[in-house]
Amino acid sequence: MPTRADDVRADRRKAESTRRAARAFQAVVLLLALAWSLAPIYWMVATSFKTELEAARLVPTLWPHDATIDNYLGLWTGSLPFPSFFLSSLTTCLVTAVVSVLIATPAGYALSRTQFRLRTSVGYAILVFRMLPLVVLLAPLYLLLLHARLLDTHAGLVVGFTTFGLPFAVWMMKSFIDAVPIEIEEAARVDGYSRLQILLRIVGPLILPGLLTTATFVFMEAWNNLIFPLTFVTTLEKQTLPAALVLSFTGQFKTDWGGMMAAATVTTVPLMIAFFAVQRSMVRGLTSGAVAGA
Amino acid sequence: MAKISLRHVEKRYDDVRALSDTNLEIDDHEFMVLVGPSGSGKTTLLRIIAGLEQASAGEVYFDDVCVNDIDVGERDVAMVFQNYGLYPHMSVFDNLAFGLRRRMLATGEIDRRVRDTARMLNIEPLLNRRPRQLSGGQRQRVALGRAIVRHPAVFLLDEPLSNLDAHPRVQMRAEILKVHRSVTSTAVYVTHDQVEALTMGDRIVVMNDGRIHQVGTPGELYDHPVNRFVASFIGTPAMGFITCAVRRMSDSVELASESARIRLDDRQVRALSDCAVARVAVGIRPECFLLATEEVARGADIAVRGTVQVVEMLGAEQYVHIAVDGGAVTARTPRDQSVRIDDAVTLVATRRDLHLFDAETGEAMIERQTGK
Repeated sequence: MPTRADDVRADRRKAESTRRAARAFQAVVLLLALAWSLAPIYWMVATSFKTELEAARLVPTLWPHDATIDNYLGLWTGSLPFPSFFLSSLTTCLVTAVVSVLIATPAGYALSRTQFRLRTSVGYAILVFRMLPLVVLLAPLYLLLLHARLLDTHAGLVVGFTTFGLPFAVWMMKSFIDAVPIEIEEAARVDGYSRLQILLRIVGPLILPGLLTTATFVFMEAWNNLIFPLTFVTTLEKQTLPAALVLSFTGQFKTDWGGMMAAATVTTVPLMIAFFAVQRSMVRGLTSGAVAGA
Repeated sequence: MAKISLRHVEKRYDDVRALSDTNLEIDDHEFMVLVGPSGSGKTTLLRIIAGLEQASAGEVYFDDVCVNDIDVGERDVAMVFQNYGLYPHMSVFDNLAFGLRRRMLATGEIDRRVRDTARMLNIEPLLNRRPRQLSGGQRQRVALGRAIVRHPAVFLLDEPLSNLDAHPRVQMRAEILKVHRSVTSTAVYVTHDQVEALTMGDRIVVMNDGRIHQVGTPGELYDHPVNRFVASFIGTPAMGFITCAVRRMSDSVELASESARIRLDDRQVRALSDCAVARVAVGIRPECFLLATEEVARGADIAVRGTVQVVEMLGAEQYVHIAVDGGAVTARTPRDQSVRIDDAVTLVATRRDLHLFDAETGEAMIERQTGK
C-alpha cells in the first residue's frame, strides 16, 4: 500500500520532470534564436573562405569544401584600395568617438546636475532628434556640408556621424553621471574645489568606464553607418568600409562574393572586439536609473 | 571657531516654502542639534549654513561676517554627509588629504595631520584601503576624519549615524562628542532621532514644517515644551494627551473629561481663568503615571481611566498604551504590575507633572512648575 511519503515522493518526481521539460524547452527556443541571429555571420565567414567558383554555385555548399585564404590576401594585394578603406573607417570613427564624448560629457553633466528652466525639455528635444530616421537628416546635412565645403572629406563624415551619434551619447553620459552620488561632489565643494576641478578630479575618474562605453557605442554606430559615406563621399579612395563593400564588390555582370565576405568579416571583427570589451558596462549605462538603487 | 547667526533666513523652492523666517544663534564651540521629522527643514537649514544652498532671503553670519556671498569652499566649514560621500576612487589617506591639498599645505604637514586624525579615530590601519573595502562604521569614521582633519571653524553633520546599525550607532555617538570636545569647533548636527538629540546636544533646535518651534537645552525641551508638537516629539515613548473642556465658574476653573478627573493647582487655575480657551489638551509623560487602585485614585490630583490597547515589554519595564475618552496615553510601569490587553485600568499622576496646551493652537498654556 502506498504511504503518504510515497505520494510526496511521486509528486516531487513529477514536479522535477516538469521543471526539466520546461528547461529543455527554454534551451530549444534559445538555440533557435541563436541560430537565427548567428546564421548570417556564419554564412559570411564560411563564404569568405570559399573559392570564387564555389561561392557562386547555384546549390550552395554549407561549409567551404576547398578552403582558401585567397580572398583575404586579395584584400591587400588586389586592385582595390582596401587598406585605405579600412584606414578611412578607423580614423573617421575614432575621431567621431572622441569628439562626441568631449561634447557629450559636459552636456550630460549639465543635464544631470544643473537646475535650469526647460532642462527636461532640452533633454527630450535632444532625444527626439535621435528618433528621426537617418535618411531625414541626409538632405539637410548634405546642403550644410556643401556650403561648408566639407563634402567628400573625412571631416564632413565626422560631422555627419557626430550629428547622429551625439544625442544618444549625451543621454548615456547623463545616466552615468546620474549614478555618481551628488554628495561626493558636494564633499569636494566643501573641500574647496571648483566645479571644473570636481569634474576633472572627482567625476571624471568615476565615469571613466562610462566614458569608454559611450565612446565605443558612438564608434560602433559610426562604423556601421552606410548611407552617410555613400552620400557625402564621392572619391572611392576616401570611402569607408561598409560603403566600399557595396561599391566595390558588386559589379554589373558578376559579384565577387568571396572577396566581399572576406571584406565584411574584416569589417566586423573590430566591432565585435569593441562590443565584447564594453558589453557589461554598456548594458549598465543603458539601464541605469531604470531600477531604484541600480 | 565661529559663532553662527541666522537672521530672517527663508528658503523657497518654486512654490514650496522649505524654511520660513528663521532666526537662530549658535554659540562658539557649541554642539547644536537640529531635530525634527523629515521635511521639517532641518537639512535645508544645515545646507544653507554650509553654503551648499542659497537662502532665498535673510543672512547667515559667521562671527558677524555675512557669508551669504562666500562660496562653500571658502567658508571654513566641514561636512559629514548621511551617506558619507567618500571619494570612491581614492584611498582613505587621499580622502583625508584631498581637502588639505587644496589648501596648499606642505606634504609633511598633510601627512602628519592625516595620521594624527587617523590615530584619533582608530582608522590608521585602513589608510591604504578604498572606501568600498570598509564597513559602514569604518566609512563613517573616515567621513568624520575627512571633516576634522581640516580643523574647520564649523563642523556640520547631516544625519551621520542613520546608516549605521544600533550598536555602532551608540558607539559613534560617544565618539563624535569626544571628537567635538577635542577639536572645539562649533558643531551643527542634524538628526530626526530625538534620542540622539537629547543625548548629544548642548542645545537642541526642534523644527517642523519649515520653522523653528523651540530652542533650548535637552532639559528645557523635556520639562518646558512650548507647544504640543515639541511635547510629543521629545521623549520616548511620547507624551500622552487627553482633551478636556474648560469649565469656568465664578471663583474656580475645572477641566472636564469623561475619563479623567483633574485637580489643578492655583497657578494653573489662574492661567486658565485669564484666557478664553475652550478646550485644552492635557499632556502627561509616561513615566509620570502610576497604575493605581480606585481607592488610591480618589485621593490623587489626577486620575485617568482607560482600556489597555497594547503592552510593550522592554525587559525591566513595560510601556502600557491606554485608550481613554478624548485621547490616548502611555504609562511606563514596572513589569511586576501585570496588565493585559482590554483590561480597564486607572492611572494616577500629580498635577506637577501636568502640561496644558490650547487644544486649538497647540501652544503651551503655562510654564510648568518643576517643583524645584
